[in-house]
Amino acid sequence: MNIEDWKSQIKRGTLEFSILLMISKRSYYGYEIISELNKWQILAAKESTIYPLLRRLLKEGYLSSYWQETTEGLPPRKYYSITDTGRTYLDAMSVEWENLLTAMDGLRDG
Amino acid sequence: METNLLNYLEKIDKYLKPIGAAERADIINEIKSEMQELEAKDKLSSEQIIERLGNPKELAGAYLGQSITKNDSFNLRKLCTIIIFYSLAGLGSVFVLPFTSIVGVTFMICGVIVPICGAVKLLGAIVGIDTPYIMFQFGTYTASPVMAFLLSILFGILFILAGKFFWKLTIQYIQMISSRKKKI
Repeated sequence: MNIEDWKSQIKRGTLEFSILLMISKRSYYGYEIISELNKWQILAAKESTIYPLLRRLLKEGYLSSYWQETTEGLPPRKYYSITDTGRTYLDAMSVEWENLLTAMDGLRDG
Repeated sequence: METNLLNYLEKIDKYLKPIGAAERADIINEIKSEMQELEAKDKLSSEQIIERLGNPKELAGAYLGQSITKNDSFNLRKLCTIIIFYSLAGLGSVFVLPFTSIVGVTFMICGVIVPICGAVKLLGAIVGIDTPYIMFQFGTYTASPVMAFLLSILFGILFILAGKFFWKLTIQYIQMISSRKKKI
């Protein structure tokens, strides 16, 4: 039994959902997303996971992106925001998430 | 920006070659921006940043993995390209590869055997044993045992060179096929 393996599977299965949830509230740039996820150990992910995932969500039309200049002397940032398709997808995911929680509760209460 | 970070970005750029230039530049700029955020906000040194981002090959691979799934949707032009590629590569494997590899190996074997025969002929002549089954003949000219030995060494070298040439051709052909495949 390897709990770390299981945790990384959960992470892999929920990262998309986590990212869409975050971005549905407001626009985020990559560094912010990673720092935000790092607040929760179970969701903590590396750049090499998040950036390619963001790119895929972009390609699939769930996210859109734009570059914006910063005022802090840093280079421009690439911001991501959710599209209508993304919102529909997120709603469907939320429904399934509730289904999962209900199912788990059902199993536990036996 | 420090040179090791710039080198890192350059490597990513190299590994991302299969992706179009504009998209590649976008990816590089985003990683660059991440690096500078890590530097300014997390106060990481360039070594720590590189350690955190991980092996450039793996990071680029993660992007390329995505671009394969992206291309999963049906596309007639892509299908045609793939069919043409595999038809040509298949033909190559049936005709070109067996020819170049067999000829190459055969030449190399000849390159070894011929000088041995020349030496046997010469030794035979010195000791006084007739070796009629080894003859160095070009048209009407038959070489004397000494001449035969010298010629056999010369031809041995030529055969080895020819063998190497065909062997290189074989390798180059295989490399060409695999590099074309990556471009599909």
